[in-house]
Amino acid sequence: MFLTQLVHGLTLGACYALIALGYSMVYGIIGLINFAHGDIYMLGSFFALYLTSVVKMKIAPAFLIAMGLTSLVGLVIERVAYKPLRRSGRLSPLISAIGVSIFLSTLLNMYMGPQTRGFPDVITELQVKLGEIVITTTQLYIVAMSIALMLLLRHIVMRTRVGQAMRACSWDREVASLMGINVDQIIALTFAIGSALAAAAGVMMGVYFNAWWPLMGFSAGIKAFTAAVLGGIGSIPGAMLGGVVLGLVEILGSAYLQSSYRDAISFTILIIVLLVRPSGLLGRKIEQKV
Amino acid sequence: MIDAYTIQILVVFGINAIMALGLNLITGVTGQLSLGHAGFMSVGAYTAAIMTLRLHTPYVLNLLAAGVVAGLSGVVLGFPTLRLYGDYLAIATLGFGEIVRVLFLNLEITGGGLGLSAIPSKTNLAVVYACLGITLYVMSKIQKSRVGRALMAIREDEVAAIAMGVNSTSLKVQAFAVGAFFAGISGGLYAHYLTYINPNDFGFMKSIDSLSMVVLGGMGSLPGVLLGAAVLTYAPEKLRFLQNYRMICYGAFLVFMMVFRPNGLLGGTDLRQLVKASFKGLNWGAMAKQGARTREGIGGSKDGIA
Amino acid sequence: MNVKKLISLSIAALLIVSVTAGCSGGQPTQKSAEQKPPEQKLADTGPIKIGFLGALTGNVASYGINTLKGMKLAVEEINAAGGVLGRPLEIVIEDNRGDKTEIANVTKKFVTRDKVAAVIGDPTTGGTKVAAAICQENKTVLVSAGAVGPGVVEIGDYIFRDVVIDPIAVPAVVKWLKDSLKWKRVALIVSVNNDYSVGQAKLFEDALKKEGIEIAIKESIQDGDTVFTSQVTKIKKANVDGMIAPIYYTEGALLMIEAKKQGLNKVFIGGDGLLSPVLWELAKGATEGCMVFAGFSPDEPDEITKKFIDKVKQVYNEEPDMFHAQGYDAVYLVADAMKRANSADPSVFKTALAQTKDLRGVCGVLTILPNREPLRTPINVLEVKGQKFALKARVPVTAPQ
Repeated sequence: MFLTQLVHGLTLGACYALIALGYSMVYGIIGLINFAHGDIYMLGSFFALYLTSVVKMKIAPAFLIAMGLTSLVGLVIERVAYKPLRRSGRLSPLISAIGVSIFLSTLLNMYMGPQTRGFPDVITELQVKLGEIVITTTQLYIVAMSIALMLLLRHIVMRTRVGQAMRACSWDREVASLMGINVDQIIALTFAIGSALAAAAGVMMGVYFNAWWPLMGFSAGIKAFTAAVLGGIGSIPGAMLGGVVLGLVEILGSAYLQSSYRDAISFTILIIVLLVRPSGLLGRKIEQKV
Repeated sequence: MIDAYTIQILVVFGINAIMALGLNLITGVTGQLSLGHAGFMSVGAYTAAIMTLRLHTPYVLNLLAAGVVAGLSGVVLGFPTLRLYGDYLAIATLGFGEIVRVLFLNLEITGGGLGLSAIPSKTNLAVVYACLGITLYVMSKIQKSRVGRALMAIREDEVAAIAMGVNSTSLKVQAFAVGAFFAGISGGLYAHYLTYINPNDFGFMKSIDSLSMVVLGGMGSLPGVLLGAAVLTYAPEKLRFLQNYRMICYGAFLVFMMVFRPNGLLGGTDLRQLVKASFKGLNWGAMAKQGARTREGIGGSKDGIA
Repeated sequence: MNVKKLISLSIAALLIVSVTAGCSGGQPTQKSAEQKPPEQKLADTGPIKIGFLGALTGNVASYGINTLKGMKLAVEEINAAGGVLGRPLEIVIEDNRGDKTEIANVTKKFVTRDKVAAVIGDPTTGGTKVAAAICQENKTVLVSAGAVGPGVVEIGDYIFRDVVIDPIAVPAVVKWLKDSLKWKRVALIVSVNNDYSVGQAKLFEDALKKEGIEIAIKESIQDGDTVFTSQVTKIKKANVDGMIAPIYYTEGALLMIEAKKQGLNKVFIGGDGLLSPVLWELAKGATEGCMVFAGFSPDEPDEITKKFIDKVKQVYNEEPDMFHAQGYDAVYLVADAMKRANSADPSVFKTALAQTKDLRGVCGVLTILPNREPLRTPINVLEVKGQKFALKARVPVTAPQ
């Protein structure tokens, strides 16, 4: 029973981690808490729902197209709502992001109606039994897919020239631009990648729980943000660790403690972690300079 | 000409403005991003409701108690968490708001998910505006005082402020307490106005609503916050004729406002400048620029992708 | 320092808001079915206005939208048949996002700007309570289509509702569970952030205790949750005869999917919150055998109900759920009282409303009891069979003594 719960927690955590990565990357580069990120996740899930149920596509191409479309939307949002605000204070883009979030969720609410919709049967569900533990194929796909995407991201950021430019921008945008890096392009690229990852999580969560609704991004967004901070915002391994820890805490917390206190338990743990390690589990120490 | 509907909007504006002014002290003046302000409001609302329903205490006492209990919860939250910087503090306050909500959903005395109903309807226009007047007076006094200048110093550069002898932790806790006190008052007014409260009414969106008022109006500026509260209370009502498109337009409106006036409607202006400007033919551009200078560096932690 | 300035500032702010708020006087009211030119409203010849109170956006939008669809159908029918007292009905539509402040704003607008004869809504108990206080104070009739929780009609003599009242329905259903299904051990699932669920679960606890059925385990979920793995695992271990789930259909469906995944092959039973085709649209085969008790039965319907079901399918291309039905019935309830009172004045027809007796609606036969609570009879227990609700039993109920 414990091990089965552990599997559930890991699956959930893998999805949180993917959404958290987008938060973390955007934050790392422009210091913006992108509150619309949860709605981008919802949008990714919606594209997959549309492609599989209306266009009757298979899940694999739908998955890729959803990621592509969502990153395009991410680019447009960045251009319209955030880029004009790049030189202003840190909270103005935050409010702009909230505006985008309200816009996207009500738009989809009007277009699709508010009720929850299920995905068609896109994956043949098989159960693997390892002694006590029951693992479903969907769970295996999700965890494998998440790990693959995270490794790919890690590779892009650490081993490619674009990744190098991204890291340079996150250290100091002005100096980076003096080094001949096109900062605007790099920021746009970051949004595109973050959005694609959120879309991937959206598709996987949608299929796993068989549910899509226009406001699904809200709570997922808050949780992923929490996960990103828990792990140390701006840090890629941190976002992964934070996501998995949060997923485990949620599942195990409601399994062994009061399930109605689930969110309170997660946030209490978060606050305690922050008090002990003020910059998250794997976050870099903040240097304070005058 | 002033019918009950207009009065309704005026009262809601007043309650929102008191809450936003409290948040303004924390976020606008002191520079500490708080995403859990609705938590303080709900503590206040529940304090007032429980006192009146269980103890049948008089209205004024309920309001005061709402403020005091919320203020105390601000101190309780502030002491451990204010060591955190920037967005780490933001997420801790977000967590606080959620913890309060979950707690109230599960406790017996708060009625759980059923909420508390049949709270006597006592709040009226006069009471709300008396409270708003007091709030404005206190906030203006604080901002003009030595403490206010110290708080602004923390906002601009905390390390430098500490070096100048400002006791930053103690001051931040005080700012939290005062901000929470007024959120509590607005919660008490709210409970006695709507006669029914439910933990879900004070969720994350409520915190975001009041943060939007502060930022949209112009952080740190009292007339700005008032204007922000007025616009965001009134805009959803004015947009009613759009029917289904209403909230879509509201979202677009928020984006448009921020793109158009990134530092808020009255960002970086204070009363004196506003009066002067109105004589000099409104030099908005200069004010916005000044606003931009003072707005830099809220929660300014620099993290890289690692 | 500048106390004077502050005072003048607050006055200025007050003025700004009052001027802007005052401007909205010229704002056009929205009309639903019949588009009448905005003529001078004459008290006795113009349309009778009914305010729709509910959310069209936000978390609880699905309840509001469906209630409105039901109301529109009823109004079209009534108007096609010549209206009420020779006047057509007109729905004034406002969205309240499910936000309590907006509910208060909208209700104030209804009673003071639109001068509606009756307000129908809100589908949620909490929202109804906020609106009811305002309607009572302004002497406007409020009929809630959906507020099942306690403490609603107690707010005043202008406040009514047309739902299946849990204090009457739940004991009858529990008795039926014991007598017909021989349940002895059950699991109770409650959604802690949903007042409907919390209220109904409390009634179930009392009734189960009274009938001697053991609650082996009590699990909580929240509206908006998608993850129910731990709850289902715990229930599975508790080894029960069935699960009592007074929750809404979205969470219900997702819970049933999880139950099937984990091999928990026991039956769920819930109230009319589960009565929606969304149940099997989401959960497909996992809902088979699940039971729902409600006043509304899509299976073996009487003539009125059948006509209604066909109409919803034809106009909206969807299966009706309980919110469609309650919205539809609420309009007829108000129209019936106006006809009997021969007046559209709330202070007059509220008396006729309170004397409603044996009114046939799509949710069964409705009588308003002396305490203004509605009595619906019979209660239908429906069972999901082949992605359809099939009538399993009709449980008769009587007014409490």
